[in-house]
Amino acid sequence: MFPQSGRRPNRTTILFLALVAVGFMIATFDVRSETNAVGDVLREGTQSVFTPFQKATDWVVSPVVGFVDGVSNLAGLRDENTRLEGRVRELEAQVRATDALEEQVTQLELINGLELAEQLSTVTASIYSSGATPFDNVRYIDKGANDGILVGQAVVDEDGLIGRVDLVSANDARVRLITDPLVSIGVRVQSTNETGIVSGRGEGPLRLEMFRASQPIYEGALVVTDGSRFPPGLVVGTVAETAAAEVGFVLRSVVEPAARLSQIDYVKVIVGFSPIDAGLEGGVVPTSPDPSIDPAATGDG
Amino acid sequence: MRRSRIVISLIAVVVAIVIQTTVFAAGRIEPFGVAPALVMLVLIGVAPHIETEYLVLLGFTAGILVDLIGSGTLGLWAMAYTAVAYVAGRFRARFSDSVFMSLVAAFVLTVFGGLVYVFLGTLFGQETVGEPNVVAKIVLPAVWNLVLAYPVFWALRYAFAPRDRKWAS
Repeated sequence: MFPQSGRRPNRTTILFLALVAVGFMIATFDVRSETNAVGDVLREGTQSVFTPFQKATDWVVSPVVGFVDGVSNLAGLRDENTRLEGRVRELEAQVRATDALEEQVTQLELINGLELAEQLSTVTASIYSSGATPFDNVRYIDKGANDGILVGQAVVDEDGLIGRVDLVSANDARVRLITDPLVSIGVRVQSTNETGIVSGRGEGPLRLEMFRASQPIYEGALVVTDGSRFPPGLVVGTVAETAAAEVGFVLRSVVEPAARLSQIDYVKVIVGFSPIDAGLEGGVVPTSPDPSIDPAATGDG
Repeated sequence: MRRSRIVISLIAVVVAIVIQTTVFAAGRIEPFGVAPALVMLVLIGVAPHIETEYLVLLGFTAGILVDLIGSGTLGLWAMAYTAVAYVAGRFRARFSDSVFMSLVAAFVLTVFGGLVYVFLGTLFGQETVGEPNVVAKIVLPAVWNLVLAYPVFWALRYAFAPRDRKWAS
């Protein structure tokens, strides 16, 4: 494959090596650049070229894809239905039990001047495309700046937080999923009311780190946004591994996302909440925050 | 090199990207959770029809487009696709006339491209090697490419056929 010793590399090999060098330079520039403005412009431009074709293809193939998807899932539907019926009965009982509690929480949050997530303005959007490889954690939605969507806004579905808007054009936007390794979110564990940060690992459960936890967290505990970047109280997921806090050490656990990220077709973008500009690139919360800054205290005011 | 062959190659890549990001998008047709790597398959399928230099350039272009649409660091897929194109161009004589060898090439080169990307991603701090299901993300697209290779290669051969005849004459 490679030229033998004593012979000069041919033109193809030189071209190959030159392109790899260019690729290295582009990657280095992309990693090192602080604002990423050039990359974003290129990404927006490329996406705007592809969008009409993607939307047209999506419109044509959606029914077929839905049918194929339905047929491929047919085998598991009966068991799933039985399981869900049981789950619905269980949840109905829980809803009745928590009605009174919810009313109390509503009153307390109103007293504290917080806007409830469900009261914020939202824009419903449809997902028409995603990244081109299994390593990509982005989705493209058919609503953009013309609909009031801004970079940094939270994106949710009926189950919980999905991600954040990270690129916006006039009629489209890109959503970076919470599973992306570049996304970190300030969260609060409801059972202990202590804050921490969850970050994506590319797929599956999220990494949870709590820097000043004083109490253990238990499997199944609800994890919600702390209000520092996204509206407070958005469901992120549930703790998947019980973990205890050790003095002087970070509490680490994993969180199972509430939203089924691989099966989303429609999402809501929360447009009624202004993300706080903390001066961080792309709205990413640092993984090792300054211990003197309490995320819960900075966001909710 | 006739310009029309390059144009056909570019169109094939663009069509592959559109299909990849819509039909084989996340949450759509993804058997066992991972979709085929259609863009890479088209790149491998184009190899017997254009000169290696143009193939390497096509690989870089396709990779950059995939980078720009995706969420990772710019340039990583460009390098991976360029490497795949280079190897495909070097070995095209061995698989261009044999159906069996072209299927083997589709599988092996797709795995190779995935491995190159994971290596580069890790090198540039993306922790790709530590991602859950990283082996499945490399191997499963290669398996689906093996399944799709015959129809895709046939379609590409059909698209290039009149040009190949003119080229031969």
